[in-house]
Amino acid sequence: MTPFARVGGAVLVALCVGVGWHRWSASEERAVRQRLDALTDAVNTTVSGGMETFVQAADIGGYFTEDVVVDLGKDAAPIVGRATLVGMASRLRRRTAAFRLRLDDVGVRLREEGAAAEVTLTASSMLRDAGAAAESTDAREYLLEMSKASGTWRISRITAVDTLR
Amino acid sequence: MSLARRLVFGSNPRRTAVRILILTAVSFGTFRWILIPVRTQGISMQPTYESDHLTFVNRLAFVWRPPARGDIVAIRLAGPHVVYVKRIVGLPGERLEIVEGQVLIDALPLAEPYVRNRRPWDVPEVTLEKGEYFVIGDNRGMRVGDHDFGRVDAARILGRILF
Repeated sequence: MTPFARVGGAVLVALCVGVGWHRWSASEERAVRQRLDALTDAVNTTVSGGMETFVQAADIGGYFTEDVVVDLGKDAAPIVGRATLVGMASRLRRRTAAFRLRLDDVGVRLREEGAAAEVTLTASSMLRDAGAAAESTDAREYLLEMSKASGTWRISRITAVDTLR
Repeated sequence: MSLARRLVFGSNPRRTAVRILILTAVSFGTFRWILIPVRTQGISMQPTYESDHLTFVNRLAFVWRPPARGDIVAIRLAGPHVVYVKRIVGLPGERLEIVEGQVLIDALPLAEPYVRNRRPWDVPEVTLEKGEYFVIGDNRGMRVGDHDFGRVDAARILGRILF
């Protein structure tokens, strides 16, 4: 084999590895984004109450790890555990007449050879309390830690970012 | 060429197509990277901006000069699609505190003609570091806990609100 062919072969192999890595990481990144889109859809689904509320709560709980931690900043105690989080979300849901969640500017960075991901995003929420006419909107930046277990991505930590300190 | 065709395509359709392409490219570039349209949500900038006010962020505003006191700026969160719209009241190196709703810069009261209602907010003194600005909304009639304000890094300032 000539030196030229050897170099050419090495470049080809490197190119294939690069393309393969890019395709693999892009697909994992896409999986994380799809998971977050599905969570948004689950949160925004309107339920009539009763059993449906429990089913929805269980569905939403599936997007978080058992030991999830939600850190909303220095003025609030962290929420620890999936059951606590889902319970709080259900109570909030019962008090509100309307609630919508939107995630924007989602940035995904894979870590630990694709077993974990760090996600930055802006979450905007619109809610209207039962009996109130006006809606209130809020937008905050969050840092999410996600982990993959048995092929499923779940959120293990949510940290609110202080854009304004 | 019929009148209808001439009205739609012009006397030289090829030249018209080129013009349309250039116009589309210029508009796309302008409104994506230079003048970003934003719609305000919420009441924190009242009375200057009501909720649902449509305006633009001029991303070139601070290319030739740094942000100045009184500038209304867009501050990015995780990205450029959702931004805070706030007014700069404190500049790098200044000491800022709020006493009974009055903003003090280096212990001197700041004149703020754009503020109508003022609740007695109290914010302890902070010294702004290099590249750090202090921003607040114009609506000081809100409860202090309901209003997002504070120090922000210059890197997060996307541009100046146009009108």
